[in-house]
Amino acid sequence: MATDFWASSQYKRWIVDRATLKRARAEDLYYAGDPEVLDLFNIFFANVISKLGKKLGFRQRVTATATVFFRRFYLKNSYCETDPFMVIAACCYVAAKAEESPVHIKNVVTEARLLFGGEEYGGIKSFPSDNSKLAEMEFYLVDDLECDLVVFHPYRTLLALCGKESASSAAVAAAVVEAEAGELGTGVDDGPRYWGTGEGKLELQETALQTAWLIINDTFRSDLCLLYPPHMIGIAAIYLTLVFHAPTYTSIRSQSQGASNSQPPSQPQSAQSTPSNPRRSSRSSSSQPKKPSQDVVGFMAGLNVNMEVIASIAQEIISLYTLWDRYNEDGHDGSARTAISAHTSARGTKRAAGGIARSGSVASGGTTTSRSGTPDSHVPAVVTPQYLTKLLIQMREAKMRDMAHPESGRPQAYDKRLGRTQNA
Amino acid sequence: MRAYRAKRDSKPRVADKYNILGFISSGTYGRVYKAQSRDTEGKIHAIKKFKPDKEGDVITYTGISQSAIREIALNREISHENVVALKEVILEDKSIYMVFDYAEHDFLQLIHHHSQTLRTSISLPVLKSLTFQLLNGLLYLHACHIIHRDLKPANILITANGVVKIGDLGLARLTYSPLQALYTGDKVVVTIWYRAPELLLGAKHYNKAIDIWAVGCVVAELASLRPIFKGEEAKLDSKKNVPFQKDQMLKIFEISGTPDEREWPRLKDMPEYQNMRRLDTYPNRLRDWCTNKMKSQLGYEFLKETFIYDPDKRLTAEAALKHGWFHEDPTPTANAFHTLQPPQCPPARRITHDDAPSMMPQPTQAQATQNVAQATQVHALSMSHSMSAKSMSGAGSVGTGAGTGGAAGNAAAGGRVRKKARAG
Repeated sequence: MATDFWASSQYKRWIVDRATLKRARAEDLYYAGDPEVLDLFNIFFANVISKLGKKLGFRQRVTATATVFFRRFYLKNSYCETDPFMVIAACCYVAAKAEESPVHIKNVVTEARLLFGGEEYGGIKSFPSDNSKLAEMEFYLVDDLECDLVVFHPYRTLLALCGKESASSAAVAAAVVEAEAGELGTGVDDGPRYWGTGEGKLELQETALQTAWLIINDTFRSDLCLLYPPHMIGIAAIYLTLVFHAPTYTSIRSQSQGASNSQPPSQPQSAQSTPSNPRRSSRSSSSQPKKPSQDVVGFMAGLNVNMEVIASIAQEIISLYTLWDRYNEDGHDGSARTAISAHTSARGTKRAAGGIARSGSVASGGTTTSRSGTPDSHVPAVVTPQYLTKLLIQMREAKMRDMAHPESGRPQAYDKRLGRTQNA
Repeated sequence: MRAYRAKRDSKPRVADKYNILGFISSGTYGRVYKAQSRDTEGKIHAIKKFKPDKEGDVITYTGISQSAIREIALNREISHENVVALKEVILEDKSIYMVFDYAEHDFLQLIHHHSQTLRTSISLPVLKSLTFQLLNGLLYLHACHIIHRDLKPANILITANGVVKIGDLGLARLTYSPLQALYTGDKVVVTIWYRAPELLLGAKHYNKAIDIWAVGCVVAELASLRPIFKGEEAKLDSKKNVPFQKDQMLKIFEISGTPDEREWPRLKDMPEYQNMRRLDTYPNRLRDWCTNKMKSQLGYEFLKETFIYDPDKRLTAEAALKHGWFHEDPTPTANAFHTLQPPQCPPARRITHDDAPSMMPQPTQAQATQNVAQATQVHALSMSHSMSAKSMSGAGSVGTGAGTGGAAGNAAAGGRVRKKARAG
């Protein structure tokens, strides 16, 4: 099971199609009015989970598991019928146990109260200090998760497929990737392995590996983890890294130019590739004999996956970044978005997207279409956590009103939107 | 949240789906019942009800235990002929019910049947079939990167058709790239008589080999009808430090001899090495021990290889299945009882009335304010003969014959009655 994704509960029960996703959000859409708001909620809630996870000292994998639990829970429930903040706390609490690094329920309650009581989420009812409230939510959550608590993540694919380029043990730094890559085999003595020897891995620069890791973090801001198997998301992240990580892209370009004259549609900005390329120096210090250069394109082509799906996942990640630009949260969020957004905006998002979708067969996904269909929505151009929290409360209140007075019929969506803009 | 709660309470209840036939056993984890499905098939099941963490007059949500999360999460992913199958998990009234396929017997019961009733040893065809199937189930778990960590006769079940089912994954753990060392999560694993020497010597890191040691102990117990290494457990001190298990270590040395660094190079790195050196030294007399019990040279060799001190040299589940012992007559059979005449088969599992009627549904908040007796009667199960509001504290006080660090209990069908008989 830990070895076989295809036999996992995740593959059997928790990879869904867009229609299911749409059905799951139907009620929220009714009260929110604008499908794009739901995508913004996806970013917002994932950020809240990530923040709570940081407060609780979670490793990235625990946060990722908590996020997947949250998304799965809302395949069966709606935001306006539940308290997403309570659900978030419960997801974190269960994920910590599921990933065998438990935290005490008291800590979760304390940190959740501190975080959710903050100004950022001003307006939400204060989080209950009673442990049993969180424990009750956990109970319901585990039931709605159908007790499927083992989750596969794209990080594993990344670490299985890619290694750090000529890693010397001295280079073990406190970098994000370093700390997290150490997850592979912390204190485990599992005997000899046929895998994990590094043989045949794609070697990436440390910063490139980090970029890929951060892209994977970012994918949890969307529904991707419900739509695609994690290894596909992992490969899409590697793919985007090869394109967007400037030094890596440059080196691939120079190789492929040497090999053939097939030109990618757009030229990369060469500003970031300095003459003192770390790649070169690290290679010279390597003691192991190595092939002069890796065939990166060949490596990607050799992965036995449907590249069209990879391209469409990559496309969705880029769409996510575009949407994310409209989401404003104070402070640095530590995502790969900043770098990539800068990159794409320099070249024009549309063109960058076109450049990535080289296969040409990438039809714009459902989300992209729906987005383009709502140019006249009343959602402000830039959305803040305060705005979304307020909207959430309004949705919940509207839902409660409707439940209290079912005979009066549901109010028109138009009225709600109007009311919201008036309130804003 | 109110709407959410209301939606949840309309789900079918345990009592709607199962007719409780009787009480099987209890342990630190909770209680096990024999039950019949109310559907047309009417299959028999073992329902394990987890005890709420805290006990008192009013049961509140206190959070699901790590052990329950593990057992549920792992069981949801796995499926193998020789591992007990989880049919479903029902969460209701603050309790978790795990519904397993029923197994009529277990190794402990079989041993007891032979030592107390038949007063003959277990025949070689039965012994070998049981061992083979046990290893077959274990190979599956190990291939899934699961270490069982509590293999013992009470946790290994046998169906009426003579098929071995490994049970109780309450202490089992997924070891695929753990976020923290296995030791950090659980200071003490495996019931003392079945605990591998590396654990007794305080190893912080260990692997699947600990399960193989336990298998060796179990096979020896099947062959001799008494535990091969029956040591006295030293209890945790007041600061909850784990003491050196001197007596258990000596019991192993008396038969397997004192280990030395030639056979186990990393022996001197063990935290308890100095304590071990203070013990008397013994020669290996396992061959003598096996003379009348294992009945063949290959049988002795099999046991010898499961009791290799160095965990890295110890037999693996895979190698064990290929051992010559299974290739010499009599060879293992799919039905372990294939060769037995009906009177020799172990008797059916005894069930009793529940002396702590915890399978009665707890009254809900609303009902509690009304006449409790009246409200509960509606849902009362056929076996619930008392209306007493007695808490479950009686159930929890059953000591396991040998402690397992509190986290593990008996198998889905381990028995308190038998346990006591055994201790005497």
